[in-house]
Amino acid sequence: MKISQMLLASVAVLAIGMPAAAIADTSDKRIALSNNYAGNSWRQAMLTSWELVTGEAVSVGVVAAADAFTTAENQATEQAAQIQNLILQGYDAIVLNAASPTALNGAVREACDAGVIVVSFDGIVTEPCAWRIAVEFREMGRVQVEYLAGRIPEGGNLLEIRGLAGVFVDDEISAGIHQGVAEFSQFQIVGSVHGDWAQDVAQRAVAGVLPSLPQIDAVVTQGGDGYGAAQAIAAAGRDMPIIIMGNRQDEIAWWKEQKDANGYETMSVSIAPGVSTLAFWVAQQILDGEDVPQDLVVPFLTITQDTLEEALETTPEGGVANVEYSLDDAKAVIAAAK
Amino acid sequence: MTQLVSIYRSRWIWSFVAAAVVWTITVMFTGGASMVGLTQAAFTFAAFSIIVGLGQMFVITLGPGNVDLSIPATMTLSGTVALKFINVDASLIVPGFLIAAGIGLGVGLANYSLIKLLRIPPIIATLAMSFIIQSTAIWTNRGLRIRPPQPLSDFAVGFTFGLPNLAWVALLISALIYLLLEKSVFGRWVIAVGQNMRAARLAGIPVDGVRCLTYVLCAVLAAICGFFLASFSGGAALNMGAEYLLMSIAVVVIGGTSVAGGDSNVPGIWGASLFMFLVVSMLNTYGFDAGYRMIMTGIIIIGVIIAASSRTVRI
Repeated sequence: MKISQMLLASVAVLAIGMPAAAIADTSDKRIALSNNYAGNSWRQAMLTSWELVTGEAVSVGVVAAADAFTTAENQATEQAAQIQNLILQGYDAIVLNAASPTALNGAVREACDAGVIVVSFDGIVTEPCAWRIAVEFREMGRVQVEYLAGRIPEGGNLLEIRGLAGVFVDDEISAGIHQGVAEFSQFQIVGSVHGDWAQDVAQRAVAGVLPSLPQIDAVVTQGGDGYGAAQAIAAAGRDMPIIIMGNRQDEIAWWKEQKDANGYETMSVSIAPGVSTLAFWVAQQILDGEDVPQDLVVPFLTITQDTLEEALETTPEGGVANVEYSLDDAKAVIAAAK
Repeated sequence: MTQLVSIYRSRWIWSFVAAAVVWTITVMFTGGASMVGLTQAAFTFAAFSIIVGLGQMFVITLGPGNVDLSIPATMTLSGTVALKFINVDASLIVPGFLIAAGIGLGVGLANYSLIKLLRIPPIIATLAMSFIIQSTAIWTNRGLRIRPPQPLSDFAVGFTFGLPNLAWVALLISALIYLLLEKSVFGRWVIAVGQNMRAARLAGIPVDGVRCLTYVLCAVLAAICGFFLASFSGGAALNMGAEYLLMSIAVVVIGGTSVAGGDSNVPGIWGASLFMFLVVSMLNTYGFDAGYRMIMTGIIIIGVIIAASSRTVRI
């Protein structure tokens, strides 16, 4: 959503004469974003979305403050200390993208005990007192194989590119892919490498394993690695398989190029970095006294052959396809979970 | 003297032996079919480790405690800024390259100022510096990837006489570094400082100048590597240098350069860089699970280092 639309929406909200109390209720509340990592384009887009949406919300007085804090080292201990600081600084709610699903539970418990609302998203925490906006990572892996089964009914060889070893999200998406392969048994995974969600790492890993692999019919990915895989496969002079993309602009642009050149078809799936703004509105709703279930699910963002051009147009050069969520989106997600 | 020569030789030969063994095992998996592809890929990706490894080698040669941890951040910053400056305009490639090198120069000087003026140990100084550099990289472009202009990316992924262009670049840099180290006064000074800083100072060597130049050299090489890596992989990413921190140190150590300083080895960097790429490819090819793969990588690296060093001791 563009700023102008945001403005319009907020003006509209005010104009309809929504009960002033609904806004006044949280107008003195302060929300903090505790973020564990900022070193890639997805996280940068996440922070930009946060700034955009919360900046607007603060200026129209929905909340008093919405500050973003990022730890330098992507360590759970560091983030735990950060959360303790945020409690001491008297924030009313902490929106959290956690370095670990379990290691922050102690700090999150302290926050709950101090009366601070904790809403975790993307990197969620298991502590029961916190809210969770989870992404169905397994499903994100499974739909890739399902899509491929539609494209190549007779099946074939898959190359799996995984994320960062030892991270919960990597295990989940990979489990989903393997579940998909079990379901559509005409596919087999003939190679698996770790691309660390980075194009250059994926490119190197794929280039190293490719010479020893048989023909590859499709590449299943986790996002941020499809373009690197395509580069490596092109360099090896192989036929281009169906590479599932992960919504990065370079991936979509490459897809578009291939489509124009030879009718290349694929799909792209990932989580919109703007999920941080959904978490913001959920936190605002909880502060507003709304009854919100602890576990919410956010849909992932899929780009298909038909929406390719549109996605390419709206995605900033070098960035990630994104949506920013509105208060109404948050209400819809909450209603769906009830 | 001949004995001395054989010690030198026997140390770096180990990294090549290890690379050859791993290469053979990997190629065996497909009965030889992957020979050309794997070799070309190995030279392509080894080129990056070689370029940063040569810089790190110089720094490590300065003696215990000298190491440059700002390499990944420098790579990221130079790639980001240079490609942003070039902005897909082929006529700006050369100025862009110079800007990348200039960033390296600046980082090197800043590193050494921290070390010298504030008397901070190099490990801490370069680590602190890397936070500053990384934040600058984030600030300059917020993680947006800007594509390299077509001629530059064609060059980075291209081949000449069967070898990747980047391997030729690495070969050229290696030759220069070899001459600098073995044939120039500066190279002799670096080794003298690494063997005994006090003795070097008493012998009238400008120790501070030598150390400063060494850190600058390392940062410039890292910046050049970042420039080529960004051109090679279709744009600079904020986390693109991350792997090269451990890599730069590993190739130096496996290549037979003494961690205690005062004794460096250029050819070994090549063997070690090829080895580091091939070992991961081998474990990937045989389909080892990630955790197991990391354990194996660690064990193999330790094995190669033990093999290399015990050989030296026996002679």
